[in-house]
Amino acid sequence: MKFLLYLLLSFVLVFFLNPFTPFWGAMIGLGVLALVIQPGGAAAFFGGGFGMSLAWMGLAVYLNIETGSSLPDKMAQLFGLGNGTLLILATGFLGFLLGAFSSWSGQLLRNLLKKKPENIYRG
Amino acid sequence: MKVFSFVLVFLITVVLGYVVSIPMGPAPPVAPLLDPNHGFWQNMYSEDQLAEETIQLEGLSAPVKVAYDENLIPHIFAQNEEDLYRVQGYVTAQHRLWQMEFQTMAAAGRISEIVGPVALELDRMTRRKGLAYGAELGYEFVKENHPEMLVLLEAYADGVNQYIASLDDARLPVEYKILNYHPENWSSYKSLLLLKYMSDMLVGDRDLQYSNLRKILGEEKLDLLFPEFPEENDPVIEAERVWDFEPIQVNSPEEGTYPDDKLVIDPLPQPEEGVGSNNWAVAGSKTKNGNPILANDPHLSLNLPSLWYSMQLSTPEHRVKGATLPGALGVISGFNENIAWGVTNATKDARDWYKITFQDDSRKTYRYGNEWREASHRIEEIKVKGQEPYYDTVVYTHYGPVVYDRTFGSERQDMNFALKWTAHMGSNEQLTFIKMNKAKNHDDYNDALNHFTAPAQNFVFASVSGDIAMRIQGKFPVKWDKQGKFFMDGADPQMEWQAFIPNEHNPSTLNPERGFVSSANQHPVDPSYPYYVFDNSYEHYRNRRLNNRLREMNSITVDQMKELQFDDYYLHAAEALPVMLELLGNETGGDEKAEKYLSELKSWDFYADPNQKGPTLFYTWWNKTYNQIWNDWMEWDEPVVYPNNYETVRLLKNNPSSEFFDHVNTELKETASNHVRKGFAEMVESMKEWEQEEGDYTWANYKRTSIQHLVPQFRPFSVENVYTGGGRGILNATSERHGASWRMVVELGTPIKAFGIYPGGQSGNPGSKFYSNFISKWANGDYLNFDLRSEDQEEDLLFQTTFTN
Repeated sequence: MKFLLYLLLSFVLVFFLNPFTPFWGAMIGLGVLALVIQPGGAAAFFGGGFGMSLAWMGLAVYLNIETGSSLPDKMAQLFGLGNGTLLILATGFLGFLLGAFSSWSGQLLRNLLKKKPENIYRG
Repeated sequence: MKVFSFVLVFLITVVLGYVVSIPMGPAPPVAPLLDPNHGFWQNMYSEDQLAEETIQLEGLSAPVKVAYDENLIPHIFAQNEEDLYRVQGYVTAQHRLWQMEFQTMAAAGRISEIVGPVALELDRMTRRKGLAYGAELGYEFVKENHPEMLVLLEAYADGVNQYIASLDDARLPVEYKILNYHPENWSSYKSLLLLKYMSDMLVGDRDLQYSNLRKILGEEKLDLLFPEFPEENDPVIEAERVWDFEPIQVNSPEEGTYPDDKLVIDPLPQPEEGVGSNNWAVAGSKTKNGNPILANDPHLSLNLPSLWYSMQLSTPEHRVKGATLPGALGVISGFNENIAWGVTNATKDARDWYKITFQDDSRKTYRYGNEWREASHRIEEIKVKGQEPYYDTVVYTHYGPVVYDRTFGSERQDMNFALKWTAHMGSNEQLTFIKMNKAKNHDDYNDALNHFTAPAQNFVFASVSGDIAMRIQGKFPVKWDKQGKFFMDGADPQMEWQAFIPNEHNPSTLNPERGFVSSANQHPVDPSYPYYVFDNSYEHYRNRRLNNRLREMNSITVDQMKELQFDDYYLHAAEALPVMLELLGNETGGDEKAEKYLSELKSWDFYADPNQKGPTLFYTWWNKTYNQIWNDWMEWDEPVVYPNNYETVRLLKNNPSSEFFDHVNTELKETASNHVRKGFAEMVESMKEWEQEEGDYTWANYKRTSIQHLVPQFRPFSVENVYTGGGRGILNATSERHGASWRMVVELGTPIKAFGIYPGGQSGNPGSKFYSNFISKWANGDYLNFDLRSEDQEEDLLFQTTFTN
C-alpha cells in the first residue's frame, strides 16, 4: 500500500516538477520526497523508480498520440535502436534508474538522520 | 553500515546523474535528449500545434500580422520595411533556425566547432578561399555606401535574436540536441556571409586542368576538343542581338609571356556537375491569355531542410511572394503585384589563379614587376570541439588569398597561388533583392541589378505591363583573349585584370522579336559580343531543348509552362544513341540479355520518365563508352578537364576514326566503334549484375533521387528513393542528388496567377508534418497555389499570429 501510494506521489512530483527543471531537478525532488515520506527502502527504490519511469513514458506515449509524428522512429534508426517503441522503453528504463536511486538515496539519508548509529564500521 | 550504504547509494546516484548528462563519444548526453519534457520528444509537435495568437516582439513600430496558409507559408503584413524584416527574421528562425546557422557556420569555416577535428581540413579550405574575408569586405561596403540597408539587416538579425532568446530547451531544434550545442546570436554580417556561400556553391574554375591539358595536348588540339563556342550555339541572349556600345579595350600581354608552363597543385573542390537552372519568360503575343508568363527553376543540391523557404512579404507599398533563403532578407526568386523575376547561374570564369613568388621564407614580400610588394598575414583561429583552437596563417596578396602553401596542400609541391575572385570585392547583393522586391517596371529591375556583383546570374524578368527581359548580371573583368583560362604569373603586371565591364555593357535584352527570353546556363552570348567570354561548364542540351520548344509553341498556357519545367526529353540521348547504335552494328555478343537491352533501347522514345528502362540503359552505356574513350587521359598524373558530352558525341559522329580514339599503349588502333562496343559489353555486364542484385532497372529505381539532410550521417532525416524522372542535361534536371530546388510559374495578368513548389517543406523540424510534405507533389510535377494574399483574406488559413511591441 505504502509502495503504491509512494509510486503515485513520485509520479505526480515528476509530472509537475520536471517541465520546469532539467532531469536532475526531478532527481533532487524525488530524494527530498523520500526523505520526507520515508516509504522504506524497497518502496523508495521501486516506487520512485516506477514513478519517474511512468511519468516519462506516459508523456512520451501522450506525445505520440497527440502529434502522430514519425520522429521517434527516425531517432531510433539514427541511434540504431530499431523503432520508436523501443525508444519509449529506453526512456522508461532511464527514468526508472534515475528515479529509483534518487529516492533510495533520500530514504537512506533519512535512516541516517533518524537514529544515532549504534555501530560504525570503518573500512 | 547506514553511513556506508547511504554514501554508496548516494555516490551511485550522483555518478549516474553525471554520466547521463555528459556526451559519450559522438553520442549526445542521454538524459537531456530522452527527457520527454525537454528532449527530442518535444520536437514531435508540428507548427500548427504550437501556434500562438500573439507574440511580443520588441522594436516594432506597429503591430504586424502573419497569416499562415494551409502549407505553413507565412504571409507577413507590416506597416514598414523595418518591421517587415524584423518579423521575417523571427518567423524564419522559428522554422529554420538550425539550418540558417549551420549554413553560415559552414560558410565561415566553423564546422569543427560543432563536430570536432574531422572538419578541420574543410574549415581550413573554406577560410583559405576567403569567404569570411569577402563577407567582412561586404559588410564594410554596406556600412559605408548603404547605411539605410544596414538598418534593415540589423532589424532582421534582431528578429532572429529575439526568437533565440525566447527559446527554451523543449523548443530547441532537434539537431542542436543531437549534436549537443546551442545557437549563438545572429548578425547582419551572417546574412552577408550566407550570400557569399551561394557564390561558393555556384562558382568554379578549371584553370589548373586547362593549364595541364594545354601543356599535354598543345593549343591546337585543345581548341579542337574545347571550342570556345559550340557548333550549335543557342545562347542566353538571342544571337540576333546587336551590341550598340563601344567596348572598353585592355592591353594584351607581350607575345610568349602567357600561358605559362605546367603548374601542378591540387584543384579546389568544384561545384557539383549538374548544378544549373532554367528560367524563361514568354511575351503576351505567344500566350493564350495575352499575358506574359515567367518560369524559373534553380537546380541545386537537393537537401533537407530545403534551401528555400516560401513567404509573402507585404507593406502598404508592396506585396512580394516567392522563395527566400533562410538568413537573407527579402524574396530571392518571386513576383510582386507588378513584376516577376527569376535567377539562373551565369558562371563566367570569375576566379583566376596567380603564381606568387615570395622573396624569402618569411613570405612578407612577393615579386611584382620590378619591385617587392608587401603581403599581409591573416591569422584564422579555428575552434575545435574537444580540442585546443587551431591557428592557420593565410597570406594575402593584392590579388587575394594564397590558398595553397607550405602548410596546406604542400605535399604536392611548394606551390603558392593567389586566388583572385569577384566574391572578395566589396558589394551589396542584398540591396539588389530588397530593390527587386519593390520593383514596378523594367527600369526598377535594371536599377536593382546594378548592385549585384557575385555570383553572376541570368536575371529573367516579366511585367504586368507586358515587358519581358533578360540580363546577365555580375561584376565581370574585361579580359584579353584567353586571359585566366590558364594559370597566370602574379609577378607580371601584364597579367592583371585591367578593368571591369560596365553594367550597361553586360549582355541584356528587352522584348526580343522572337517573343521569349530564356537561360539554361549555356553560353551567354553569340561570338559577336565584343568581350572575351569563357567558362568550362556551359550547358549544351537544356538550352537547345528549351529554345526549340519555346520557338515552336504558341498560345501558351500556364499548364504548358509547368509541363515544360517537368519536361523529361533526353536530348543528349536523342543525339548520341542513333550514332552509338550505328557504331555498334550487330556486335551484341549474341547474348539473350544483350538482345533484350538492345531492343529496349531501339524502341525508346528518348523521354527519361521514371517508369522507362531506356534512360537507364543509355545512361550506363554512355558512361561506360565515355570512360573508354578518355581512358588514356584518366591515367595521366595531372588533373585535366575532359571533353564534354556534346563534343564527345560530335567526335563520335563526325570523326569516328579520329586520333583521339586511339589508345597509345595498345597495339590495336582503336576507332569510335571499338569504344562503343566495349562500352556496350560493359553495360550488359553491369545491368545483369543490377538485375540480379536490385531487380527493377526502370529509371527512377536506378537513379534513386535522394533528398539528403544537411548532415549526411542523419540518414533517417533524409528522404530517399524519390520516384521521379529527369536527369542531367534534361529540362527536368533531377539527377541522383541534384535537381529543381524550386519551381515557379507566374502569369502576369490581373490578378497575377502564381504557382510554386520545392522538394521539402516549410518546417526545418524532422518531427513536423510540414518537414517533407511537398516532396511527393514535387516529384509528380504538381504545384501549390502561390497567389498573393491580402491581409483580410480568410480562406485556407492554418493560423494567424499578431506581433506587437
